[in-house]
Amino acid sequence: MLAAREKRAEFERQALVHTDALFGAAYRLTRNARDAEDLVQDSLLRAYRFWDSFEQDSNCKAWLLRIVTNTFINEYQRKKRSREVLDAASAEQDATDGVLMHADATDRQSPERALLDRSVSDDVQRALEGLPDDFRTAVVLCDVQGLSYKEIADIMQTPVGTVMSRLFRGRKLLAASLREFAVAEGYVKSADDKAPDGKAADDETIDLAKYRAARSAHEGSNS
Amino acid sequence: MTLCHSIDTLSMAFLDDELAAEERRELELHLHDCAGCRDHVERERTDLTVLRKALVAPPAGALLKARIARALDAEDAAAARRHRGRVSQWLLPGGAIAAAAAAILVFVGLGTSSPHGTSPIARDVAKQETHSLPFEVQGASTGPWLRANFAPVEPPQFTEPGIALLGGRLLPNGIANHDAALLSYLVSIGANRVTLIAVVLKDLRNTEGLDEGQAYRVGDLILHVHDVDGVPAVTYVDPARNIGYVFASERLTASELLRLVVSTDLIARARQTR
Repeated sequence: MLAAREKRAEFERQALVHTDALFGAAYRLTRNARDAEDLVQDSLLRAYRFWDSFEQDSNCKAWLLRIVTNTFINEYQRKKRSREVLDAASAEQDATDGVLMHADATDRQSPERALLDRSVSDDVQRALEGLPDDFRTAVVLCDVQGLSYKEIADIMQTPVGTVMSRLFRGRKLLAASLREFAVAEGYVKSADDKAPDGKAADDETIDLAKYRAARSAHEGSNS
Repeated sequence: MTLCHSIDTLSMAFLDDELAAEERRELELHLHDCAGCRDHVERERTDLTVLRKALVAPPAGALLKARIARALDAEDAAAARRHRGRVSQWLLPGGAIAAAAAAILVFVGLGTSSPHGTSPIARDVAKQETHSLPFEVQGASTGPWLRANFAPVEPPQFTEPGIALLGGRLLPNGIANHDAALLSYLVSIGANRVTLIAVVLKDLRNTEGLDEGQAYRVGDLILHVHDVDGVPAVTYVDPARNIGYVFASERLTASELLRLVVSTDLIARARQTR
């Protein structure tokens, strides 16, 4: 009993302090406050169950973000796909039955929940919608959570070069989608004021390790 | 090789603070001389600033934090049940007495019983479970000490194997205005050790609430099971001697505790004298 109480206290001290950060990541990954809440709760519960496996001297936030990311990729996406199939089947059934449905299903939810759902329908979430999951995950871990390339590579279990490539491409796609936001915020003058950067970088060109290898080879040939 | 050819990679790593110190210095010198790359880096910087500002997410709500706390509470409770389940697996096959006790235990719905009733005495005793004060006497000397210092009663002995009387002490403030003695037992479960206490009270004027809780009949005796905030307590009153017994253990389930109590010589003696 004492050990259980100590475990809970330690988990609260080291892990629960990151709840806001985890919600931020989950919110941007799922693009939906309700799903983000479920994702954070599932992930923290999983972390609590496996707390014994957490290496006490390592980065707890990065460990938790790995769980959030894996849970998102492995379970949330699958659940979401099944839900979409069910929703589609349900909509079809309603249409067949000739049942008059509310145009807005949130009418049946709590006012707080409805408000939450409406508030997330912003430009940023729409911009994120258009990104492949891998790109979005890399961008969220770097630009929302401030993790290093190495930490992101560990979480996504990919080479650092792949992380850079996903980040680069994800940011380019988002920047294009967020052009109106940038105008509204005064960063650029008009939506047509595009950067004259038409180059489409790919996995071959964005890689610090490759740059360093080429640089070393170049210096070797000059010496 | 010129830096202009790698400006996409270098600009990104530069803005993400991922360049080594030497690489950073080299790029900064290059940017000083190359207007094209300088413009490129500035555009990238603006895009990144816009992106990061747009991606700032709201904090978690209080309702979510409360939900998480409840989920962790439920997880703790489930873990405690699993632990008790493991105890149960060890205890239940342990000897014929437990099996016999299980067979003769019958829940009886007496008028005074309430499903989750708890007597104040049982509550006070359950609190003693969490105290770890020193014993006044230890081991085999506990019986003579109890008779000499408290009342002409024997410490209950468990016939189930692996349960040893550790020792005892008098409770200086008593329990509910009654003199009381606490006896502590060690229950060995594989490599685990679980403590169980028995508090003996004397000069009871009546059952004094010890007959609240769920009533179980063992032959012609009645035992009562109390739930004190998740800690089970089992009570028995010896009306002939006005002595009350309260057994409690934080680490056992109510049914495990009840079966152990039934296996004591206290209950066997009481049944023989009827």
